[in-house]
Amino acid sequence: MNDFDLVRKNLFRRKLRASLMIVSILIAFMIFGVLAGFYRAFTLGEDRAAADRMITVNKINFTQPMPIAYFNRVKAVEGVRQVTFANWFGGYYQDPKNFVMALAIEPSTYFDVYRSEFDVPPEQLQAFVRDRSSALVGEKLAQKWGWKIGDRIPVQSNIFSQKSGGHTWDLTIAGIVKGKVEHVDTNFLLFQYAYFDETRSFGKDTIGWMILQTTSPENNDRVAKAIDAMFANSTAETSTDTEKAFGQAFVAQFGNIALIVLLVVGAAFVTILMIVGNTMALSIRERTREIGVLKTLGFSGPRILAMVLGESVLLALLGGIPGLAIAALIATALRASLTNVAPAFAVSPTIALQGLALMIALGLITGIIPALNAMRLKIATALGRG
Amino acid sequence: MRSLWLQVAAVTSINLKSIAQRRWLSLSTVIAIALVVIVLLAFLAMANGFQRTIAGSGANDIAIVLRAGSQAEINSTVSRDQVRLIEDGPGIARGSDGKPLISPELYLVVDGIKRSTKTKANLPLRGIGEQGSELRKGITITSGRMFSRGSNEVVVGKALLRQFEGFDIGSTVAFGATRWNVVGVFDAGGSVFESEIWADLNVVQSLFNRNNIVQTVRARLTGPAALSELKSYSDNDPRLKLDVKSEAAYFAEQASQTSDLIQKLGWPLAIAMALGAVAGALNTMYSSVASRATEIATLRAIGFGGFPAFVGTLAESLLLAAIGGLLGAAATYLIFDGVTASTLGGNFTQVVFDFKLSPWLIAEGVVLALIVGLIGGLFPALRAARLPIVEGLYAN
Repeated sequence: MNDFDLVRKNLFRRKLRASLMIVSILIAFMIFGVLAGFYRAFTLGEDRAAADRMITVNKINFTQPMPIAYFNRVKAVEGVRQVTFANWFGGYYQDPKNFVMALAIEPSTYFDVYRSEFDVPPEQLQAFVRDRSSALVGEKLAQKWGWKIGDRIPVQSNIFSQKSGGHTWDLTIAGIVKGKVEHVDTNFLLFQYAYFDETRSFGKDTIGWMILQTTSPENNDRVAKAIDAMFANSTAETSTDTEKAFGQAFVAQFGNIALIVLLVVGAAFVTILMIVGNTMALSIRERTREIGVLKTLGFSGPRILAMVLGESVLLALLGGIPGLAIAALIATALRASLTNVAPAFAVSPTIALQGLALMIALGLITGIIPALNAMRLKIATALGRG
Repeated sequence: MRSLWLQVAAVTSINLKSIAQRRWLSLSTVIAIALVVIVLLAFLAMANGFQRTIAGSGANDIAIVLRAGSQAEINSTVSRDQVRLIEDGPGIARGSDGKPLISPELYLVVDGIKRSTKTKANLPLRGIGEQGSELRKGITITSGRMFSRGSNEVVVGKALLRQFEGFDIGSTVAFGATRWNVVGVFDAGGSVFESEIWADLNVVQSLFNRNNIVQTVRARLTGPAALSELKSYSDNDPRLKLDVKSEAAYFAEQASQTSDLIQKLGWPLAIAMALGAVAGALNTMYSSVASRATEIATLRAIGFGGFPAFVGTLAESLLLAAIGGLLGAAATYLIFDGVTASTLGGNFTQVVFDFKLSPWLIAEGVVLALIVGLIGGLFPALRAARLPIVEGLYAN
């Protein structure tokens, strides 16, 4: 029997007690895994934002329009490699409750700016550019409604009206857009701005926002200043920011999600620290005599210390690893329904590693005091007690 | 029977007095349960506060008219011609001068800077018609004065002033190239309007280039029953075909989405944590039974029944849970009740609200704590009741 067997047998000497502690640790790590996974997915956009991409919006607020003439003027700014624009459509399908993230876009530049995110077969893109009343649909949205290339889809807007009076635009699906990387949400529909602009009843010649790519991230500041200075004191002043800063400010609008996650995970960990810490102390106290015997048999103090710590770390791992595994299952199960907020909801390798580090830390913290006591225990006291 | 209850009382009191011997384990159970209750109540207080702010904003005798299918004020558009038709509609109350009591309104989103994070946030700028503030209950100017018609002046809600920078009376705010003077602060009885900036409709229309368009029309009805008259009037006129809702119904829809979401987050988290706390409570109570094995067996040997041992253990567990639950509720009240927060509401703008606990919510928290105590005490209590006497006497 080696030391590890001894540790394992000690831990499961009281099977019920060990199982209960494993359950409480499991739950804490499950909460950690789910919340950390959610938070990561929720803020992934900002981490993965392209460093050379910037967003220009109306300075009043990003929901306010600006003239389409800005598009060509921004294109001419030195340091701008490519620029495109989009307009929010406020789309829904069949019922206002079935929100569709629909944008009217500039077809020849949009997929150039987003070329590292979106994948459209060239012939589908060509078909889209050719047919003014066509649309490209993200893979996820197409799956959701079972749409195929060639389908004619009536998309309604909760904001815009057709000049003819209706709220419905009939669009033919010209292609399906796939995401190139994990965090890309393909739950969208894109159609031609030119068609949208000439059919809508108000707001003509205005656009929602521009997305531009600079020749290099070092030029970002200069480009932003040049653009905003160009439109200063006009009726539509602009505000240009990196995609990352824009994304961060937007996420912050929902509230301090990071703080909420931290508090909940903190509460879960304080709970297990106390429960496991006290129980470990109790278990070791109950075994005082045995530790005395082990010492009599020649087990050194440090070896005893290592064995007690090993026991508490083993306990933390036995609860923590299945806890993270369950969190991963939960994330997979919930991903579909959270696709709008957190498309890449998952327990990532980084989170798993952080979790592992937390397990070891938890094991060491809960075990250290009983372990030190056991190490320092004098044989005479130990055998004399009880 | 009387002797049974005396036994129960005696064993229970022994149980409770022995808690001190397991003070650390018992304390950890109490705190674990308290933390479960804090997590639950913090989320519920958040949902409740948000709900109260929004749902409390609408009146039953005010109709709100929006573009069909638009769902929120921010999306809606209503033309000037449609406003005129609504003015002539049935069921709308009239003032002493015979004019209909309606307020055509523009609802625009402008940037403000949140005090706590210094980041940009969406704030609503509402251009209101002449009757705008009379169509809302309990609007009072708490400092400064109302904006004057035709000038670029704004009044701001007091909740907005608290959460966002740069809106103090006397200051000038810039929305793009337009400049506005803040001339007053208003109280709206804790409703969502306190998170808004108000200005004169005509000035907002001209400075934001929306001359022939408003977004919504509010109208005072002759009574709540007049809503259906106005609705069928709108449905039957092809020039209108607008959504007509009572303001109360409109805000109830707006509130439910976000507050349901918060509750859907809070309950699963609290239940998961409660399961962890149950494991902790079971652990504590099994230890309690184990450490009193000799004592329980001795009592049984001198004629006490198993039932008193059962009740005593369960009572100990429930007491710990009740203390934990009340501690959690008190902590939530001290830490979170009245805390102001803001988040994006249904109109894509910030809604400022306060966390609000209620006796009903506290009861939910304490019940959850007692369920943890019940489950955590039940199985150890059964063990205590069934403990073989001889085994117990030699336990230590």
